Amino acid sequence: MADKIYNITFGGTGGQGILKAAEICGWAAMYAGYHVKKSEVHGMAQRGGSVESHVRFGKKVFSPIVQQGGADVLVCFHPEEHDRLKVFLKADGKDLIEYLEKAKAAIANPRHLNTFLVGVLSAYLPIKPDYWLKAIESVFKKKYVEENKGVFLKGREMGQS
Amino acid sequence: MSKNETSKKALLSGDEALAFGAYEAGLKVACAYPGTPSTEILETLATFPELDVQWSVNEKVAYEVALGAAISGVRSLFACKHVGLNVAMDPLMTSSYTGILAGFVVVVCDDPGMHSSQNEQDTRWVSIYAKLPMLEPASPREAKEYVKQAFEISEKFDTPVILRMTTRVAHTKEDVTLGDRVVPQQPPFERNIAKYVMVPGNAYGRHIFVEQRLNKLKALSEKTKFNRIEPGDKKLGFITSGVPYQYLKETYPDASYLKLGMTYPFCDDKIRAFAKTVKKLCVVEELDPFLEEHVKSLGLKCYAKDPSFRIGELLPELMPAVVKGEVRHEKITVKRKPRLCPECPHWATFATLKKFDFYVAGDIGCYTLACLPPTSALHSCVCMGAGVTFNEGWRKGAPDKKIVGVVGDSTFVHSGITGLINAAYNKAKGVIFILDNSTTAMTGGQQHPATGLTIRNEPTKKLILEDLCKACGADNVDVIDPKNRAEFDALVEKRINEDALSVIISRHPCKLLVR
Repeated sequence: MADKIYNITFGGTGGQGILKAAEICGWAAMYAGYHVKKSEVHGMAQRGGSVESHVRFGKKVFSPIVQQGGADVLVCFHPEEHDRLKVFLKADGKDLIEYLEKAKAAIANPRHLNTFLVGVLSAYLPIKPDYWLKAIESVFKKKYVEENKGVFLKGREMGQS
Repeated sequence: MSKNETSKKALLSGDEALAFGAYEAGLKVACAYPGTPSTEILETLATFPELDVQWSVNEKVAYEVALGAAISGVRSLFACKHVGLNVAMDPLMTSSYTGILAGFVVVVCDDPGMHSSQNEQDTRWVSIYAKLPMLEPASPREAKEYVKQAFEISEKFDTPVILRMTTRVAHTKEDVTLGDRVVPQQPPFERNIAKYVMVPGNAYGRHIFVEQRLNKLKALSEKTKFNRIEPGDKKLGFITSGVPYQYLKETYPDASYLKLGMTYPFCDDKIRAFAKTVKKLCVVEELDPFLEEHVKSLGLKCYAKDPSFRIGELLPELMPAVVKGEVRHEKITVKRKPRLCPECPHWATFATLKKFDFYVAGDIGCYTLACLPPTSALHSCVCMGAGVTFNEGWRKGAPDKKIVGVVGDSTFVHSGITGLINAAYNKAKGVIFILDNSTTAMTGGQQHPATGLTIRNEPTKKLILEDLCKACGADNVDVIDPKNRAEFDALVEKRINEDALSVIISRHPCKLLVR
């Protein structure tokens, strides 16, 4: 299993923080010592269109895009986008859509949804909490780091329970 | 992994990695006009205070300033998206003849699949047309490595070097190791009429040089490690470049590969040698049959994708169909279309244009999205600035129709000014709307001359659009906030019924700016 490549697909609509969520995951995998590739599509995304991002990490990664039927974990921020993106999920992959409503209920600020779901995701990946927290420090502006760490840990707790 | 190594690593996109590579290579000057997926190259370079970095008025200007800087003796870089290169083709073609003094790299990001573009042109052909060497990184790590090599090649062979990426390289992120900046010794700036004044007599001499240079570059292409044979199973061998290499490696990990990183001039000897070692030779590339046609021209039997795969981007799961020569079968998935933001000022402007049932000539910007239902109030989009010139052109064949043109503030400065002068000079009439949201919104909100701020948000001379339009020869120039709907409607009704060339500057800041 040492050469296993982990594949995570993120999806939602422009403005939901999908790219940021994938970014945290990518940095955490890098800090954990993996080779990481992450793909995303910019441009029109911020105008409310479909947004998807893929993160792949392991010993050696070639393609930056997850194949259909190849995602170990699917993280969707929007039910309709979930319908479109579920083709990416492996037969025995983990679908985090079951957490979407619970996550929304658990956060006070809707802008924290992405960090919360990353916390849930972290419970399903072989990356230590320290690397996730370090990734949050790399990705967010200084003034948002502490609140996001708190949100992340709450999400992680939900993922583990 | 030691702590020290970790501290020198970063998760960077192809654009960012390329910028770090150029910085480490001692780059001094970088110029561009924003364009997805190339925009982040300049945005990243602008974070290094020792660099001279600018948003230029358009790609032609950017290319010329950067080329001039290279000829003055400092390493320089120009970056654009594929369609941006069209605007810069004039200086590019002759810069092949003049060559450079210090290294000059031309970065072009193609957009297979048109994630954010109006066509799928394949820039690789430009390398043949302009007789320039071309490098094609397949990952962010390669982008960083290749740009350094591009500066070396540029200086050694006295040539601009094209570095071509695609969206999937430019916008892929990878863990990349950072290094130190090394600035090479600056060669002295000198007058050299035979080299830099391209009048026919001098240009003839330089054309001879260009052809000789191509031969030398071909020799480089044969020996460079960027064109790499990876021996594997002899039954199947791939010639490929860019991101398709990555997709193939996932699907056919045991096959043999000739992975091309320097795609022009072609390494014919290496291609022939590789072809001899494999039973089935297969060329896999996105968009046009650039490699395929050349390999076939060498008299080699090779398999390649069905022409249906020349349209759109390739994806990992498509590799078996591509390799087998199958016809592309599109699975239609309903993607959420982008739309104007809820409080966008363009909604108000286009509500009025729709109400008056105008034929609306448009071009490139967020406002292009006004073509979508239910608004459907934008009726052309070809290139930057054509919102101004199509107003004039359409009136030739349809003088009885209610025709107007729309152009964004950044787009007007990029390519609309000459069109407005042309309309005034040639006695064209009509109303041109400058949709002034005070930013280059579609690419994420970059500064331009009419915002009065530089790429680093420093104050600079501000271009006053209303003064400029008057100077261009517009009969009337009005400035109005389109959100004052009644006032706006009344003004439009007045101007459209006059026998005049009018500009209405519809001014309200982008919602994303205010945020």
